[in-house]
Amino acid sequence: MLADITLGQFYPADSFVHKMDPRVKIVLLIVFIVGIFLAKNLIAFIPAVLFVILAARMSRLPVRLLIRSLKPLRFILIFTFILNIFFLQGNLPEGQEPTPVLDWWIIHLTAEGILQALLYSLRLIVLVLGSSLLTLSTSPIALTDGLEMLMTPLKVIRFPAHEIAMMMSIALRFIPTLLEEADKIMKAQTARGADFESGNILKRAKAMIPLLVPLFVSAFRRAGDLAMAMEARCYHGGEGRTRLRVLKCTWRDLWGAAAAVLMVAGCVLISEFVHII
Amino acid sequence: MRIVLEKVGYEYQQGSPFSAVALKDIDLTIREGEFVALIGHTGSGKSTLAQHLNGLIRPTQGTVYYEDEEGRADIHGKGYSKKSLRRQVGLVFQYPEYQLFEETVQKDVAFGPKNLGLDKDEIDARVKEAITRVGLDYDAVAEKSPFELSGGQMRRVAIAGVVAMRPGVLVLDEPTAGLDPGSREELLQMIKGLHDSGTTIVMISHNMDDVARYAGRIVVMQKGTVVMDGTPREIFSRGEELERMGLDVPQSCRLSLMLRKDGFPDFPLCYRPEEVTEALEKLLGGEGRAC
Amino acid sequence: MLKNLIEIENVSFSYEEEGEPAVKNVSLSIPKGAFYAVLGQNGSGKSTLAKLMNGLYKPSSGTVKVYGMDTADDDKTWEIRQRAGMVFQNPDNQLVATVVKDDVAFGLENIGVPTEDMPARIEQALRDVGMQEFADRSPHHLSGGQKQRVAIAGALAMQSDIIIFDEATAMLDPRGRQEVFSVVQQLNRNRGLTVVWITHYMEEAALADRVFVMHRGEVVLEGTPSEVFSHADILKKCKLRQPPVTEIAENLREKGFDISSGVLTAEDMVREVKRLCASSWKK
Repeated sequence: MLADITLGQFYPADSFVHKMDPRVKIVLLIVFIVGIFLAKNLIAFIPAVLFVILAARMSRLPVRLLIRSLKPLRFILIFTFILNIFFLQGNLPEGQEPTPVLDWWIIHLTAEGILQALLYSLRLIVLVLGSSLLTLSTSPIALTDGLEMLMTPLKVIRFPAHEIAMMMSIALRFIPTLLEEADKIMKAQTARGADFESGNILKRAKAMIPLLVPLFVSAFRRAGDLAMAMEARCYHGGEGRTRLRVLKCTWRDLWGAAAAVLMVAGCVLISEFVHII
Repeated sequence: MRIVLEKVGYEYQQGSPFSAVALKDIDLTIREGEFVALIGHTGSGKSTLAQHLNGLIRPTQGTVYYEDEEGRADIHGKGYSKKSLRRQVGLVFQYPEYQLFEETVQKDVAFGPKNLGLDKDEIDARVKEAITRVGLDYDAVAEKSPFELSGGQMRRVAIAGVVAMRPGVLVLDEPTAGLDPGSREELLQMIKGLHDSGTTIVMISHNMDDVARYAGRIVVMQKGTVVMDGTPREIFSRGEELERMGLDVPQSCRLSLMLRKDGFPDFPLCYRPEEVTEALEKLLGGEGRAC
Repeated sequence: MLKNLIEIENVSFSYEEEGEPAVKNVSLSIPKGAFYAVLGQNGSGKSTLAKLMNGLYKPSSGTVKVYGMDTADDDKTWEIRQRAGMVFQNPDNQLVATVVKDDVAFGLENIGVPTEDMPARIEQALRDVGMQEFADRSPHHLSGGQKQRVAIAGALAMQSDIIIFDEATAMLDPRGRQEVFSVVQQLNRNRGLTVVWITHYMEEAALADRVFVMHRGEVVLEGTPSEVFSHADILKKCKLRQPPVTEIAENLREKGFDISSGVLTAEDMVREVKRLCASSWKK
C-alpha cells in the first residue's frame, strides 16, 4: 500500500515539461483545475483531455507511472461512479424528461445520469493526472521553491512563506525515511504478536497504537536532531538567504501558458454552445 | 526445535519493474541449542534471512520448516497458527528501543505475552522474569516510563519484550549496534546467559571480535547466498577470503595472519586474544626457536 | 597567527539550572591541523562537549573560544559555526534537502554566498569526499557512509577549518566506518583540516594525534594514544577497553617479555615480535 503513493516521487527526465519554471507549472495546474470545473459536459472535456495527453507526451514520463498514480483512487472512483449513476439524473432543461435505461425494483437508471457519472469520474481522473504530472515532472525542491516564490507577496501580511516552504521541503525529505521506519516498526510489533489486520474498526484502530506511538517518538527525535544540525549549519530563517537555484521563466513557459489558456477557453466555449446533457 | 530452510529465495516486489533478489537458494538448518552468528555486508541479505526465520516474510521460493521429533511443519502452510510461530521464534530488530510505546516498562514487556493470550498471573510472572533476565532491576524500572531510561536500558527493555514470550529460538539483528564498549559487553553477556539456559541464539553482527568470542557457528552471507558455514575456527582460518570479501576478521585473527605472512609461517591461527597471548608466549619464550 | 583554533577554559555545563553538570571543569585546546579524539562511554559528556565547541550550547561557566571568538557572544554565532562545522551521529537526521547538491548548498545559502559562487564550491566539496557522482541523487538512496560524506561536504563547502565529528561513525557498518574515517584522515593530512573526533571506538582513537578520555563530565586522561591506552585500570573504570592488541602486549609484558609499551595495532605487534626474535637470535 505504502509503495503506491507516487506523490512527491519525482521522476527525473530531460523534457519540455521538466524544464518549465515550477512557478508557472503550479499556476497552470490551478488554471487547469478551474478549466475542468468549468467544463459542463463530456464534449467540453475534450480540450482538457487533449491538454493532459499533450503534457504527458511532452513530459516523457512513462505512461505506466501516470496510470499508477490513479491506483490509490480506484475505490473512490468506483464508489462515486456507482453512487452517481443511481442518484444523478443529469442537468436537463425545464420540462424535458430523462431517458430511462433501466427501471427495475428500486433501481432507476437514466442515460443522462450515466453520462453525468462519467463526467464526474473523468473530472477526478483528469484532476489527479494533472497534479501527478506536476509532482512527477518537478523535483520537490523546485516545487517548494516555486511555492515559496509564489507565496512571497503574501509576506506583506506576515504570511510565513519561507517557513512553510522549508517545512514542506523537510517533510518531503523525511517521508520516505518515515515510511521505511513505519514498515520496520510494524514488523517488529508483528514479531511480538501484534495483529494489524483482523478485528473490527475499533480493534484495528487500537492496534495502531503500538505503531503510531513509536513513529511519533521517532519523528520528534528526528526533528530535534535535524533542528540541531540546521542550526549548526548556520540556518537562521529566510533573512539574508541566497539560493542555489534561481527560477527563470523562458519561452517554454510562455507556450505552456498559451496552451492552458486555449484549453480553458475551449472548455468554456464548448460548455456554452454544445448541450448534450 | 530446529528451523530448516530449504531452497529459500526471496524477491522484493516480485513481478514489478523494481524487483530485486534478496535471497536465493538458501539451505540452512538452525539446530536446537546453537549460537549462530550471521555475518555479511549490509545488503547481503542477513536481515531478510532473519525475518524468514519467524515467518515475518514469506519466501517467494522454497519452504521454511519447523521440525521436531514429531515431524516437520511448513510455517506458511495451512493450519500453522501465527501465534505458535511467534511463540517459538522471537525476533529482536535492529535498534529495538525504537519500538517501545507503552506508559510503563511493565506494560511494554507485557505486550508480547498478552498477544499470546496468556492469563494475567502468567503474564506478570513472565514480565518479571524477562526484565530480570536482561539484567534490569524489576522493582526499580517496572513502573517507569521506558522513555525515561538510558539508551542501553531501553534496548534491554525492548529485548525483554521478546524474551517474555519465551521463544525457543531468539534471533537478534545487530543487538549491540551503536552501544559503547561497556554496554556492549554487558549485553553480550546477557545474550550468552540466555543461551546457557537453553535458548537457541541467532545473532547478526558486524563485530567479528564479538562473534569470535560468543558464537559456536558462523554463517557468512554474500549477495543473498550463504557462502561459508562452519565453526569460528573453520571460518576464520579462511581469514584472507573474508578480507577479500571486504569483511573484517577478529583483531587476534588479523594479527596471526600477519605474523604468518611476515616470517612466522607456523604461527597458529588464533581468533581470541588469550590464544594469541599463549601462542606468542610459546614463540618468544621458546628461546627463539621459531625465529 | 593563531595557534589554537579552539580554546576551552574551565568549562562546565548543565542542562538544567540545578542539575548535575554534564561537563565539569574541562580545559583543552585544539591546535590548527590537529586530529584529536575524545573518548568516552555514552553519557560521559563527550557529545555535550562537542556541542559546546560551536556554540550550540553555551557554557554555564568558563569560556569557549573558536578562532579567538567567544561562543557566548551572540554576534559571533554564525561566524563561529561557519568556521567550526559539525557532523552528527545519525546520518538520516542531518541532511535537509532531497537532492545531494542542494544539501551541500544548504549552509552556503544560510550564510548568503552569492548564487554564482555556489556550484564551484559544491562540486569541489563533493569531490573532496569522493561523492561527486552522487550530486544529483537523493540522500535517501545513499548508504550511511555516503550520507556522512555528504554531511562532511556540507561543512567543507562552507570552508570550515575545523570539523567536529560527534560520533559520526557510531551508526555505520564497518565498511561505512572505514570509508568515513579514511576520508577524514585524508582531509586532515592533505588539506590541513582540523579534526575533533568524538567516538567510543578504540581503534579510531588509536589513530588520533592526541586522545582525551571523558568520564562523568570530566577529562580523566589525556595524551598520545599509546600513553592513554597504557592506563588499563582507568579505562576499565570508564567502561572502556584497551584495543585487543594492546591487551595482548600488556599480558606478555606482565609475563616478563620485553615488549615496549605503546603497541596499538597489529602492525605494531608484528614489529615488536620481530624485534624480540632478532634480539634473541643475537644472544
